[in-house]
Amino acid sequence: MEQIQNIEGLQLTPDLFEPLSEAEKNSEFIAAAPRTYLSDAWHRFKENKLALCGLVFLLIMVVMAIVVPMLSPYSYEQMDYGAINLLPCTEHPMGTDKFGRDIFVRVMYGARISLLIGFSSAFICLVIGVVYGGFSGYIGGKVDMVLMRIVDILYAIPNLLIVILIMLVFGSNVGSIMIGICLTSWIGMARLVRAQVMSLKEQEFALAAYVLGASTPRILFKHLIINCMGSIIVNVTLLVPSAIFTEAFLSFVGIGISAPAASWGTLANEARTLIESSNPIQIIWPILAICLTMLSLNFIGDGVSDAFDPKKK
Amino acid sequence: MEQPILRVEGLKTHFPVGGGLFAKKQVVKAVNEVSFQVMQNETFGLVGESGCGKSTLGRTLVKIYEPTAGKIEFMGRDVGSLSGQELQEFRRNMQMIFQDPYASLNPRMTVGEIIREPMDIHNIGSPKEREEKVSSLLETVGLKPDHVRRYPHEFSGGQRQRISIARTLALDPKFIVCDEPISALDVSIQAQIINLLERIQQERGISYLFIAHDLGAVKHISQRIGAMYLGSLVEVGESSELYHRPLHPYTQALLSSIPIPDPERMRSRPGLQLDGDIPSPLDIPSGCPFRTRCPHATQRCAEEKPQLRQVGSSQVACHLYE
Repeated sequence: MEQIQNIEGLQLTPDLFEPLSEAEKNSEFIAAAPRTYLSDAWHRFKENKLALCGLVFLLIMVVMAIVVPMLSPYSYEQMDYGAINLLPCTEHPMGTDKFGRDIFVRVMYGARISLLIGFSSAFICLVIGVVYGGFSGYIGGKVDMVLMRIVDILYAIPNLLIVILIMLVFGSNVGSIMIGICLTSWIGMARLVRAQVMSLKEQEFALAAYVLGASTPRILFKHLIINCMGSIIVNVTLLVPSAIFTEAFLSFVGIGISAPAASWGTLANEARTLIESSNPIQIIWPILAICLTMLSLNFIGDGVSDAFDPKKK
Repeated sequence: MEQPILRVEGLKTHFPVGGGLFAKKQVVKAVNEVSFQVMQNETFGLVGESGCGKSTLGRTLVKIYEPTAGKIEFMGRDVGSLSGQELQEFRRNMQMIFQDPYASLNPRMTVGEIIREPMDIHNIGSPKEREEKVSSLLETVGLKPDHVRRYPHEFSGGQRQRISIARTLALDPKFIVCDEPISALDVSIQAQIINLLERIQQERGISYLFIAHDLGAVKHISQRIGAMYLGSLVEVGESSELYHRPLHPYTQALLSSIPIPDPERMRSRPGLQLDGDIPSPLDIPSGCPFRTRCPHATQRCAEEKPQLRQVGSSQVACHLYE
């Protein structure tokens, strides 16, 4: 036999080898179907039944909030002095208030305002927080230092104080509540994104993109922020209920949305005066709406954070 | 082979550390006065212990870090002064393969997107041409074109390293810094990657700076090798010359640490065993950086830093050879 190679005295001859089997020749083949990150997360989210219930409830709430005030024969501000403080009946499923307005329509109309404030302010915080925190973390150095001190100063002012001051200046409407909430709520998001970006930018894939000549926005958004999407989404699911809660609180103490417009907080405030009267049941409805929405949002948040947790794969 | 594609002169990369309210500001001299050349179509190996500044040197060459002093000349141009369009052109020609195949690919991008990205960044070709190039690159590195829609986590370490090689090749670079491309891989896969790199070099005439601490692999792939210790090059020579007649005491010690697959010969091998650890790069010894661990150290080594000088066909920085 012909000698092929000599490695430190070891004789390698062809009869020592055997041909690869067919299976081994296909070693580069991947059997599993390709799955994107989001479909993977959705798959895990579906496993969590509680979170799924929350999502279904929230969707029903959104649809009702849109449809009910449109289809109902009553409007949220239409008074009927012939039907004051009615208990739930077939015409008024949740009864009427002290001015004879249909409570069911008012609760659903309130859902519009509450959900609108919750989701839009969460979205605004998302955009501001991600961009601000992302640039601060990626650029680093003195820029980061200045940007983060601004954040610290904003954080030091009490949240409610800012909201109340803004309501005083701009009046009690949806817009000013949203400005008030957004002015400080994006800070948590900015800090979170900054911390994540700072650790991710040292990773080799970010360096590789840099060496390839990618621009700063490209590295930031295509490589870094997309990789902290998990914690960003989890943070958003916490921002929504906190915004809804802030609005409800403000309206309840009487400095939020003012009558005849209705948010859940306003409705609870109006029903408060009747709690010792003949019809104490009115306060139940807005509170029930707030509680169930909060609960489902929290379940969703829980499910989402589990779904995006890399350790639960 | 005659013309240097890369010329490095007196390169220094220092990092400031500490410097808080009360702490004194210190400087890590990761790369300290390094000069060498890499010829066209050549593989220049760089060896040394962990923490000796090899990776920092590689990263300084591709402009991840800014050099503190010194000059890098690539394809006849001073790299330090590049900006805008010229810098993008430099990036096209100078690429890097990273050490950790698990960290160097963006987990949220498909393999197709990863390999196409360099062409997207530099606006090369039409979308259709890019798709075709991605498939042909996948075949070059031994993967299948239908892997484009897969995500990196579906691949093994060796496959991922091949994906990252395909990504660097998408720009048709003239020079690739390979920063320990095989040290995170199994031994059987290491040979695969080395052979792939060699084949690509023959087909495309690329020059490599091959950083590794595995001396066997470096010897196999490199024409010339530089040994680095605490931020300085201590010896540069032809690959076989450096292996068979190492001059610097540090190179001798490095070589005697290569295991031989024969316990009898391993035990009887003459050679230099090093004691102690590499000193902190915060506090590099005066004179010759190696003197604290060198068996031949004299008074002169503490006073004067030896410069690289020609001895035979190699260059060595040691007072023993004068």
